[in-house]
Amino acid sequence: MTAHATPAAPSPTPRDQRGHAAVPPWRDVRNLAWLFQFAVVLGAIALVAWLWGNYQDRSAASNIPSSFSFLNQPADFPISGSDFRRTQPVRAAIVEGLFNTLRLVVAGVILATVVGTLVGIARLSKNFLVNKAAQVYVEFIRNIPLFALLVLMYSAVVLRVLPDPRPGRGGSWEWGPVAVLNTRGIGVLWFEGGNLRFVLVVAVFAVVGAVTARLRRRRSDATGAPARTGLWGGVAGLAAAAAVWALLGLGISAPELSGLRTTGGIVMTPPYAAALAALVIYTSSHIAEIVRGSILAVPRGQGEAANAVALSSFQRMWFVVLPQALRVGVPAIGNQYLNLAKNSSLAAAIAFPELTQIVGLSVANRSPAVPAFALLLLIYLVISLVLSALVNLANRRLAIVER
Amino acid sequence: MKRSTVRLLAPVVALAVVGVSCGDDDDAPDESARGRITEVQAGDSILDAVIEADSLRCGVRADLPGFSATNEAGEHEGFDADFCRVIAAAVLGDATKVEFVDVETAARFTALQAGEIDVLSRNTTWTASRDGTEGATFLHPTFYDGQAMMVAADTFTSIDEMDGAVVCVAGGTTTEGNAAAEFERRGLTVEVSSFESVDLLQEAFLAGSCDGWSSDYSQLNSLRANYPEGSEALVIFDDIFSKEPLAPAVIDGDTAWAQAVNWAILSTIQAEEYGLTSDNVDEGLTHDDPNIVQFLGGENVDGTVLDTGIGLPPDFAYQVISQVGNYGEIFEANLAPLGLERGVNALWTDGGLQYAPPYR
Repeated sequence: MTAHATPAAPSPTPRDQRGHAAVPPWRDVRNLAWLFQFAVVLGAIALVAWLWGNYQDRSAASNIPSSFSFLNQPADFPISGSDFRRTQPVRAAIVEGLFNTLRLVVAGVILATVVGTLVGIARLSKNFLVNKAAQVYVEFIRNIPLFALLVLMYSAVVLRVLPDPRPGRGGSWEWGPVAVLNTRGIGVLWFEGGNLRFVLVVAVFAVVGAVTARLRRRRSDATGAPARTGLWGGVAGLAAAAAVWALLGLGISAPELSGLRTTGGIVMTPPYAAALAALVIYTSSHIAEIVRGSILAVPRGQGEAANAVALSSFQRMWFVVLPQALRVGVPAIGNQYLNLAKNSSLAAAIAFPELTQIVGLSVANRSPAVPAFALLLLIYLVISLVLSALVNLANRRLAIVER
Repeated sequence: MKRSTVRLLAPVVALAVVGVSCGDDDDAPDESARGRITEVQAGDSILDAVIEADSLRCGVRADLPGFSATNEAGEHEGFDADFCRVIAAAVLGDATKVEFVDVETAARFTALQAGEIDVLSRNTTWTASRDGTEGATFLHPTFYDGQAMMVAADTFTSIDEMDGAVVCVAGGTTTEGNAAAEFERRGLTVEVSSFESVDLLQEAFLAGSCDGWSSDYSQLNSLRANYPEGSEALVIFDDIFSKEPLAPAVIDGDTAWAQAVNWAILSTIQAEEYGLTSDNVDEGLTHDDPNIVQFLGGENVDGTVLDTGIGLPPDFAYQVISQVGNYGEIFEANLAPLGLERGVNALWTDGGLQYAPPYR
């Protein structure tokens, strides 16, 4: 019998304490990954530092200031539609511009959501006319640039539809005490007596209405009678609000025409009206598509089940389909809100004194450009972050609870 | 490449990029995308850069007829455009070697600061803040203007009737502040609407959205001449309520260039004072008065030629007058059709403000 020599076993791979194969550190993948990340971060910091240094050098060479001290300088320009005096500092002007932007953004977000949801639902209607009309609206508006829409709304719609108040050219439209319309502005019935008290009245309405609705719901669950929470809550809330209104001594201010000017009420200037209309139309067309998509994402079985338990079509939409659809759609709709907030800066082109225009005016009146526009970017960043935080809050509350 | 090789090389490359980007700033003069020296360092002047590039980049606008606007052929015409040609004729000897750059109101000073343009000739008011914060150096005012108010005919007869009026201005200039200051001075309230473009302002004015339209008196004349409903539909009040000396500007820190441009402009005024026009400038070369001969860079009887050392060729004034014209000719050609009179822009000998220092 021949003895076969057993081949020698290969020597075992050297291993460290954790059982990993021992590798010299400059070849160790974990080290290299960390080093690469460190190098990229260093590169990014170096780039920013170089840009900053470049900016400082060039400003110093041309004797241009590059600090934020311009905020304390007198603004030297007036702002239409406010009590701002030109001797006030630039930072007060920026605050004024911020309020104007927020007026546009808040009203725009609310209106765009309402209109967008309605159009989105209309897109899914069985009625041929409604469906096609919504389709044409969405397809047309989605595919035109917002700036063109804005200029069109201002020059072709707002300025042409509204009447010229000058004598001999038509005169304003006066709709009783409710509204006065002309190319100087749209005056609408408004309250007078202070913003804080009005907010209190609204709060009372909301609280009383909610409490009444909840009581009715409890009654309805106990006895089986129809709850009609909307009716009861609304009436009770209105009654309480009216009582508080009278108690706080708030009044109503009706718009009146005196000469060419509209006094009283609240006046929406043509730039504001045009900017709001353009933003709402544009954003709502995008929201409509998101709503349509998210409704289609709800399983068909849900709608069929709702029919099976004899819910009316409104109840089916409101209680079954929309809540599930919104869970899918809220992040995308939140994105559209951010777009609206940033697109509001285009209103500067039609003389609406919002934030971008105010900063532009201050730069034209001796504020240094780079710090001013950097501040503008920061403010828009904060607005967007706040908006997206609110949307995330809503998203978390509506989130699909997975079992 | 093996994954391990890539992982080895990647941080090395990253560090190399960092090293290169950190080390580069102060070695060579900053070159703009067009290869010009845009940062003024010892010994470099925009004057040298312009001569080397053989073209003058002049910041103008395209929408103000009379001062600077494009005609159907796309060429820039106007008072400010002609002064660009004056500077080119003086520095380069050829009035056609101008590259016109249309700059927006909001960007005109940043364009100058960034070196995108060599000189700004865009009906810009000379103010202290612009000398300081904007980093501009203003040269001799070519047009002494003032702010005025324009209203639709048959609405108001003077500013004092316009309490609480809506005044529309084309924003981004000294106009809003001046309008507000004037109304304050008279104890009136005003709403100032600031538009970014003159076209939208005109739309708003046509639709009755504005009571008044305020701007520099010269601009109002130009806008009124081009109003769609005709110039009789508008009335410009005679009250001028601010000082608006319109002057070309260059960037701070370059004295050689500033002086060269300044003397190019002043030569047009001096030429009008001497009575030299584009037609008779050749006779000036052989004039009896040696001041005129020297001014034009001609040879004196004794064979000497005056060189003042401001960096311009000795015959720069001759080039300017023969190719473009004297101040009066430039004014007549561009601003007289708008209905503007010399007024305070006449020569000092006629009671106006245009006065050139002696060329000696």
